[in-house]
Amino acid sequence: MRRHLLLAAVIVLASACAGEELRPGPEGGTVVIGQVGDAQDLLPPFHSDIAGRIVAELVFDPLAELGPSLNVVGDSAFAPRLARSWRWSPDSLTITFALDPEARWHDGRPVRAQDVAFAYRTLKDPANAAPRAGDLANVDSVVAIDSLTASFHFARRYAEQFYHATRVVPLPSHRLDSIAPGQSLRTHREALAPVGSGRFRFVSWAREVAIDLAAVPDHYRGRAKLDRVILTKVDAVPGLAQVVAGEIDVWEPLASHEVPATSASEHVRVVTGPGYLYSFLGLNARDPQDTLRPHPLFGDRALRRALTMAVDRDAVRRAAMDSLAFPGLGPFVRAQTTADTTIEQIPFDRTVAEALLDSLGWTARERDGTRRRGAQRLAFTILFPSPALPRMRAAVALQEQLRQVGVSVTIRGLDPRALGPAVQSGRFDAVAWTWQTAPSPTALRGSWMSRSIPGAGATNYWAYSNPAFDRAVTDGIAALDLETRRASLRRAYQLIVDDAPAIWLFEARNAAAVHRRFDTPPWRSDAWWLTLGDWTIAPDQRLARDARPATP
Amino acid sequence: MLRLLLGRVAQAVLVVGLVVSATFVLIRLAPGDPYAAVTEDPTLAPEVSAGLRRAFGFDDPIATQYVRFLTRALRGDLGWSSARQQTVGEALADTLPNTLLLMGTAVLLGLVGGVALGAWQGWKPHSTMARLSHQAGVVGLAVPEFVLALLLLLGPASLLGLFPVARMRSVVAPDGIGGLLDLLHHLVLPAFALAIGLVAVVARHQRAAMAGVRDREFIRAARAKGVPEREVLVRHALRNSLVPVLTLLGVILPSILGGAVLVESIFAWPGMGSLMIEAVNARDYHLVVGCAIVGSASVVAATLLSDLAVLWADPRLRSRR
Repeated sequence: MRRHLLLAAVIVLASACAGEELRPGPEGGTVVIGQVGDAQDLLPPFHSDIAGRIVAELVFDPLAELGPSLNVVGDSAFAPRLARSWRWSPDSLTITFALDPEARWHDGRPVRAQDVAFAYRTLKDPANAAPRAGDLANVDSVVAIDSLTASFHFARRYAEQFYHATRVVPLPSHRLDSIAPGQSLRTHREALAPVGSGRFRFVSWAREVAIDLAAVPDHYRGRAKLDRVILTKVDAVPGLAQVVAGEIDVWEPLASHEVPATSASEHVRVVTGPGYLYSFLGLNARDPQDTLRPHPLFGDRALRRALTMAVDRDAVRRAAMDSLAFPGLGPFVRAQTTADTTIEQIPFDRTVAEALLDSLGWTARERDGTRRRGAQRLAFTILFPSPALPRMRAAVALQEQLRQVGVSVTIRGLDPRALGPAVQSGRFDAVAWTWQTAPSPTALRGSWMSRSIPGAGATNYWAYSNPAFDRAVTDGIAALDLETRRASLRRAYQLIVDDAPAIWLFEARNAAAVHRRFDTPPWRSDAWWLTLGDWTIAPDQRLARDARPATP
Repeated sequence: MLRLLLGRVAQAVLVVGLVVSATFVLIRLAPGDPYAAVTEDPTLAPEVSAGLRRAFGFDDPIATQYVRFLTRALRGDLGWSSARQQTVGEALADTLPNTLLLMGTAVLLGLVGGVALGAWQGWKPHSTMARLSHQAGVVGLAVPEFVLALLLLLGPASLLGLFPVARMRSVVAPDGIGGLLDLLHHLVLPAFALAIGLVAVVARHQRAAMAGVRDREFIRAARAKGVPEREVLVRHALRNSLVPVLTLLGVILPSILGGAVLVESIFAWPGMGSLMIEAVNARDYHLVVGCAIVGSASVVAATLLSDLAVLWADPRLRSRR
């Protein structure tokens, strides 16, 4: 036994002492980013998760990058990247990008206009099932004028032309064009070990363990100050322990229950900023038994409003997220340029809510206090994705609050893969849901506009429909200036809040734990990793791991 | 001997085939599919999932998918893992050695520790220490691996900081000998969590077996011939008492594999256990079937090896065959 202890002590000591030589100067260091999920895809057209997005956006430069104002109307908020400059045609139907002649792929080949056209074709190819192909619905073609000039031709003028053009992230055609027609690029070996154009290059990917990136020494925008970026997959419990122990440098998003332990750690500090997720209880307007009929409860606007009025949403927010959330105001977040915090909300008033329910005929009571109207009980089921702890807490709080006005709520957590088909097919009463917003408000088309409108309502699982709301959203998206857009969307937000197709619960704040040794630029909550190239570590703060180079 | 081997191999192929076919069908009957999970991004339309389902052939009838799977599997192609974005063969090759390292270490510790402890307990049945250690073994039997793993994670790893809380290597691991030490450092707790139960089980059986041979005639005869006590213990008593323990090994291997699934998950050890959980959660059909092949084949192989070990240890069985 004594010998075993001795051996363990030797291993511990030797492992701890295995250090490397540290490099003085402003450049150098490694950042270890903890992620609860591994990346699915690393190429820009395909990524659909946060880890994949981080890698794709560090390894690949876009033509131009949206700045922190997140204004997607026009091009004023964009900074040049692979495109050194751009110009609009007089009719605004063509944008021509002039590429930076110094820009190189990580294999040394120059970035050329053909790579822009290739990326466009990749996004449009149905075989690739690219998630954001819909952004290019109004792009007629992308043409390489010469090796350093690429033109985007649009079918019509609209506010987000430039934003959509920048969604076409150039891909190295010389490495990827060998794929057979009709075959998906997703499984191409180059898609899994991408050669990009960003300030960090891909080094290795150990599935479900880590993705390793290294700074490109001679990058056209200047070398990143950090040497190395490691994204490592770790489950929540050991992940938090590693953050507190200082083994992980960035842990994001930080859950509310993780904040106390993180704040007490000597190794990390907590950074907060605006969030980009809003959570709500979606009330299905369709009957789960027959989706062509209205829902027996939620088909009634007055009942939806009464239920909203019965809920103390601020208490639900606190129960679910503590201080890491703002009250939900509607289908938007405060960080969006089109947000409006003056939208008049349905107030919390339990007495009025009870009177409303009485007036709607829900007067009889069962022994447990549940209201009845004839043979119909005022009862429904809330679904939530079982791993989502805040939404489970919110559902529990809602259950208790609604019980107080005679509404019986059953809560059911489902595996996300079982929840998806149930919600998409309309076989549910209510669902605790979260939407991630984008800088553009166009996501409203899919998630809240009527399903009967072609190209809209694809993710409007709760089947909300109001032609006046549809018109206001359409006008807002079509507006060519920000003020008109804001005015139309304000009208839309007020309509949807009044209709109460959902109980708006909370808007999560973005919180992250960051190791104290990093000096970081202002925290950009929408995409904090975009500034990673400018993170620095003072030489005297560096750890042994800061000196270990990436090895392919 | 050869006939025995061929017969057992044929049985093994049949068992693995049945397990794989059942897994193939059952995982497809579970709710959802590899592309069913809805994301929180409303711009990712359901059509994208439908397109991916079509592209990878998951919208075909189960029978069509099964025939396609068999055709490819016979060529050594187990399909594409939608969760890991690599072939199933690559996923298994990445993780199987890690599990073998963990399980191999645990089994070695469990066998050596259990046999030594049980042999001592059986050889000295009236010693106070032997009786105490025998009683303490009940705790080892009663505490499930995952509970022990959590206790180790909480104590030596989190509170005392003596061992890493997770993974197989440090995120930024050193090279060379430093890397090897780093690996061993990470191996201690998960291997210990798996081995403790095994030590208790093996020791219990070994003790009983040892008690059974301790007073047999051949032991007394060896002593009468003047064979040194240590040699009597090791060459005569221990070898003859090993048969039940070796038989036991084949039986308990599946439970060790089950324990490894949880222990790997708790310590984020990138092995087959974590892979299986990930595959089932992600409804990664091809990967689930790949794991079923490896899991069932390894259990069948372990049973076969255990039978062969029994034959080695007991010459009477060989002569009967």
